[in-house]
Amino acid sequence: MTSSQFLFVVAIVQGVLLAALIILIILNRWFRLRRSARLNPRRVAVDDAMRRWAAGATPLAGVLVGLSRLPVPLAIDALVGWSARVPGERWRELASTLEHQWWARLVRANSSSARWWKRLECARFLSVGAMPGDVARLVRLVNDPHAAVHVAAVASLERMESTPLTLAALERLPQLAPTVQAYYASMLRRSRPVVIQHLLKRLRRMDDPALPRFAEFAVRLAEPALRERMTALADHTDPEVRIQAARALGSFPHRESVTALTRLAADTAWAVRAQAARSLGMIADATTLPLVRGMVRDPAWWVRLRAGLALMRFGAAGRNALLETEVGADPDARDVAKLILGLPAQALAEFAA
Amino acid sequence: MSLGGVITNVDLAILVYFLGLNSFYALLLLLSIPEIWEQTRLAEDDDFQRLMQSDALPPITMLVPAYNESATIEASVTAMLTLEYRSYEVVVVNDGSKDDTIDQLRHAFDLYEVPRIYPETITTQPLRAVYRSRTRSRLLVLDKENGGKADSLNAAINASRFPLVIAVDADTLIEPDALLRLTRPFLLGRKIAAVGGTVRVANNCTVKDGRVTDARVPQRLIPGVQVVEYLRAFLFGRLGWNRLGGNLVISGAFGLFRKDYIAAIGGYRTTSIVEDLDLVVRLHRYLRAQKIRYEMPFIPDPVAWTEVPESGKILARQRERWHRGLISAMWEYKGMLFNPRYGRVGMLSMPFFAFGEMLAPLVEVFGWVVTVIGLSAGKLNTSFALLFVLVAWGYGMLLSIWAVVLEEVSFRRYRRFGDLLLLLLYASLENFGYRQRTVWWRLKAFVTVWKRRQVWGEMTRKGFAKPPS
Repeated sequence: MTSSQFLFVVAIVQGVLLAALIILIILNRWFRLRRSARLNPRRVAVDDAMRRWAAGATPLAGVLVGLSRLPVPLAIDALVGWSARVPGERWRELASTLEHQWWARLVRANSSSARWWKRLECARFLSVGAMPGDVARLVRLVNDPHAAVHVAAVASLERMESTPLTLAALERLPQLAPTVQAYYASMLRRSRPVVIQHLLKRLRRMDDPALPRFAEFAVRLAEPALRERMTALADHTDPEVRIQAARALGSFPHRESVTALTRLAADTAWAVRAQAARSLGMIADATTLPLVRGMVRDPAWWVRLRAGLALMRFGAAGRNALLETEVGADPDARDVAKLILGLPAQALAEFAA
Repeated sequence: MSLGGVITNVDLAILVYFLGLNSFYALLLLLSIPEIWEQTRLAEDDDFQRLMQSDALPPITMLVPAYNESATIEASVTAMLTLEYRSYEVVVVNDGSKDDTIDQLRHAFDLYEVPRIYPETITTQPLRAVYRSRTRSRLLVLDKENGGKADSLNAAINASRFPLVIAVDADTLIEPDALLRLTRPFLLGRKIAAVGGTVRVANNCTVKDGRVTDARVPQRLIPGVQVVEYLRAFLFGRLGWNRLGGNLVISGAFGLFRKDYIAAIGGYRTTSIVEDLDLVVRLHRYLRAQKIRYEMPFIPDPVAWTEVPESGKILARQRERWHRGLISAMWEYKGMLFNPRYGRVGMLSMPFFAFGEMLAPLVEVFGWVVTVIGLSAGKLNTSFALLFVLVAWGYGMLLSIWAVVLEEVSFRRYRRFGDLLLLLLYASLENFGYRQRTVWWRLKAFVTVWKRRQVWGEMTRKGFAKPPS
């Protein structure tokens, strides 16, 4: 074959491909329009059936028929969408009935599929429709290597109380990226008794590399039962743990918390001092006012800002301290005081968060 | 060697070059298929609603440099302040504008001056004043001496409070849920250093209250063809690079970065011509050198809309500057080229950008010249040359139409059938005139670099509709 013949063949192949792509685009649009015209009424029917059933006007059968007429991903979308609007007892009734539906059985069987999107579908379904018999499946999904799958699976903790599932999620927590940890934490908060019991054990292991993460989780829980452990962690050698301890203690207005925070306010790490200033502001113990006032002159600007914001929580005395600082000798402290005194209430709340 | 021999050999070399380059484009095209499929699936996941109610989302600072943006600043900032995201702040930097940008801001958001309390971590041009808003607690405005976009971004980084920063052009309109979507890779637990979203063309779209409410394809050729160009660049170029693990471009108009990494490399370089490319290359270099595990993915569903040039003159300046920036970055970081220390970035991305993107206009023009000489000297077969041109154009068209296919099977922003036909028309017309003009503009960049001029092209904007008072 000569080069001209080769190019001629390439040109013909390209022409065919171009035509095929243009036909594909047009067919795709036509197909999608037809599909949505077919499915939209079914979706609306499911919504209507769900609304009537949620109000107690019709039996569950209408909802089940409607769901079975939808493609599985759309049925799951409808379930996830409605799960937040239907009261718990009624929703459990639906979840229990769904256990025997053919399509729900198929979705459940996908929990060990080799394809991640199938497992995601299963995890999303179980996040709103799990029954006690699904615990083993959910534990497997919570340990799934694909992040989307385990993030969806852990949402089942919103509706299910299961110790093995809670523990599986809790054990996975320290291995996750910070954002995912925060998401897990918000889910685990609902299983408080099991979590706290386990957390108390983990917070005792002082040389555990996962300790900072568990301490961070403890901060999110703000559970009084954890106060003693968090106070003990204020003297930990790892600054990351001390940051979490300083942050946690603000939620526990207690004499020991104040003592520990006073110590942490002189920490060598600025991030620890900043958190200590914030927590001292949250407790707003009058005896610590001079300390917080002094922190407005800290060399680190974050500490100065945090201390200034903390002073605002001490009421009139703190505000007066800031007014004095605003005309004081330290230029950095003056700037912080001026900034904070000028902040509108909403900005102040956002800064202090 | 005879003239005929030289011409044949040169033509053969050019043929091999284009074969290699186009095969690589074909590879990107193929890799973009599973990538867009996965991204579309993840984008459709309703769990975002759940996430919005959780406190898991990382706080973000939006960095908004503004230079002579009086026409669009109020609408853009208003839209930025009403995004669906829990914890974020907007830092607008007036970079010594010659128009009334700062007055517009002062009036629209009831600004009052506050002292600067943070340190200057990255050195910038002097600040004139720092303002906060009485009505919008999330807004911080810096007024500074003119120092360019990179300098403004550095000033905004200094003032930012949060660990993630997103650089957004002041004339860019961000979709309400774009920030939420942009944080998806963080939620999926990946080691993210930076993440880029899609930039789309806002010309001819209906804009209401700083939001694109009706996406339309422009009727005019120049902005219309740019819609196809943007689709091609984002939907298959960058998605394909995701799979190859070496994205070199996170758009300066819409990219999210970890602040600590930017600070570690000293922020944006004020001397660079295209600051986003320069930043991403330096980030790769730093992270690879420090042996930090990271990813810099592009995700297609978070969308920002921007106004593109409507006149050839302004487009010429923009394209010439972009290419000058590419040449400058490739020259500056030539040590990374084919350097296995930088992994895929050194062995794949840098060579592609250097030889495939940077040198392409030179090779193309050289090819044209040699072909014309060969034809006039009777050393080249006319039908072969015409066939070659036809195949080259056909391939270009194929890539553009493929980008339209990806758009159609995934996000379908252009709902009207007429717009779809316009897209197909522009994808077909791009290779007849428009492409040759861009080659010329890119070629001029080499001349400018040769003369060592570094001049920013000015962008004249019409501005979007103002929000109701």
